[in-house]
Amino acid sequence: MSPSQRAAWFGAAGRVALWAYTAVILLFLLVPIAIIVIMSFSDQPYLTFPPPGWTLHWYAAVQDQPRWLAAALNSIRIGVPSALLAVFFGTLAALGIARSGSRWAKPMTLLVLAPMMVPHVIIAIGLFPTLVDLRLINTYSAVVIGHSVIGIPLVFVTVSAALRAYPASLDLAARTLGASPWRTFMRVTVPMTWAGIASGGLLAFAASFDELMLALFLTSARTETLPRMIWDQLSFALTPALAAVATLILALSMILLGAAAVIGSRKPTPRRALL
Amino acid sequence: MSVKIGGTELKFENIAKHYGSVAALQPTTLLVNSGEFFALLGPSGSGKTTLLGIAAGFIQPSQGRVLVNGEDITGVPPERRNIGMVFQNYSLFPFLTVFKNVAFPLEMRNRPKPEIVERVTRMLTMVRLAHLADRLPGELSGGQQQRVALARAAVYDPAVLLMDEPLGALDKTLREEMQDEIKQFHAKIRATVIYVTHDQQEAAFMAGRTAILNHGRVEQCGPQSELYENPRNAFVAGFLGEANLLQVTAVTPLPSGRYRIATSEGLSLTAAAMPPEAHLLVACIRPANVAILKDSHSRTDRFSATVIEAVHAAESIRYRVQIDERCSIVVRALATRGADRFQPNDRVTVGWEPEDVMVMPK
Repeated sequence: MSPSQRAAWFGAAGRVALWAYTAVILLFLLVPIAIIVIMSFSDQPYLTFPPPGWTLHWYAAVQDQPRWLAAALNSIRIGVPSALLAVFFGTLAALGIARSGSRWAKPMTLLVLAPMMVPHVIIAIGLFPTLVDLRLINTYSAVVIGHSVIGIPLVFVTVSAALRAYPASLDLAARTLGASPWRTFMRVTVPMTWAGIASGGLLAFAASFDELMLALFLTSARTETLPRMIWDQLSFALTPALAAVATLILALSMILLGAAAVIGSRKPTPRRALL
Repeated sequence: MSVKIGGTELKFENIAKHYGSVAALQPTTLLVNSGEFFALLGPSGSGKTTLLGIAAGFIQPSQGRVLVNGEDITGVPPERRNIGMVFQNYSLFPFLTVFKNVAFPLEMRNRPKPEIVERVTRMLTMVRLAHLADRLPGELSGGQQQRVALARAAVYDPAVLLMDEPLGALDKTLREEMQDEIKQFHAKIRATVIYVTHDQQEAAFMAGRTAILNHGRVEQCGPQSELYENPRNAFVAGFLGEANLLQVTAVTPLPSGRYRIATSEGLSLTAAAMPPEAHLLVACIRPANVAILKDSHSRTDRFSATVIEAVHAAESIRYRVQIDERCSIVVRALATRGADRFQPNDRVTVGWEPEDVMVMPK
């Protein structure tokens, strides 16, 4: 083999190895999800893989049990306000840090992102006694506060990304053109960053919707969320109904993540109408 | 607050800006006359953008006042100053059409819609962009975007128009076109304009008066011809056009009223005038004032020299000649038909008159 042939051979081998590696990783990530989805259509009364036969029975069973519906409504009732809180605080944090120019900006960034790195169980242990003292434990407020903590870094990240394409001179331009700081915020900052704000909000909602650990600590039977109810059910009734609920949650999460990705990548659209 | 266009003078009164112990701007007093096109010229970090930021209200000065027609506006926020500003990066709102960008300042002033439509249309016609009113800024070329920025900054008849290196991002041809455009635009709206640039030719072409800044200080202020012919110091002489700068080591008055000067390079020159007082002096001779002499020509100062470099640059030829081993000077000769051409190593005689030797503080 000549050196150039050898290089070509190694190049081809390298590409094959890379493809194989990627395939293994994807399998590793996707197989558990696929198994859950497949098991939700099983005709057996317990979780088996692969299922011997197929049915939609478990989806009907989920629909018939009011407790699942109540838990789903709780998840929304908790997810929406915690996403809104996360949007409010996450956006302000991103703006403040992007515009400060202070040497404390970098450490502050780490602080805002910390809830993403810290295990949720630690956050839960920290929040629990505080919320007990505030007499908020087992209320909706308790878990809304908890979930907004994990939502803030998500909004912070997406809004910070939107701000990178946003020169501060746009604000100065608006000011010289006669806009007060508040009008500059509403007429320039919000339109410039709304894609980041909206996709961050969707991610924060999805994070709340999927979250188990804080829900275990901070919800009661009255305020239990879908993931918490799945957890409770796991201990005594391992039926494919659980897989059906998991599949429904998965579908909603995928839709939210897809929407967040689409909004996040959008270019500004012309407002063509004259005034 | 509504100020009549073309009737606004702007005064910086003893303005200074410090960041901690660093002085971005030394105490500065400047008067920009009503309707004047005034350039702030200097290298980067010279304080010209600081001065502009103080005029706009983005930067609060550490001391001094900003006066518009005698009224103190030092503490007034930018949105209530009625100024227009054009930025180097255009700073158009990317999510608004050209029309909505230009309408923005009028909307901020709560003008009625028919008036907005009328004024925006008139302004876009003036900058020849009426046919692109529905486009987004991202769909326009750099020159077009800068014309939109110009229209947006002028549509509400601001008292003063500030421009921060507005053509810095454009290539040379487009820059020259836009210089014409801005100059004509100024002639039409007759606003008071303060124009920041580091390009001396741009300032010369556009501005009535120019202030030269260096290290946060105004070195000299006046029409460019005056700055070129009577530079107050070596920085101004070197910044505006080419200059041969020679260190002065000794000055002897002559009976004729002229002065004999010795330079650190070992040359002996004759100068017509001396600055009133200064310890460190330089002598400046413009390359265009250095003549390459034929024997029949007489000059007060004559030196024989050797050509070491000859660069043909379109209308002129730039020679570097060595007078002795310590001193080389630059000569700029017009490339007229029939003019002598010299090559490296040619022996020549160069000379000049005492009036061509400007002596000034370092």
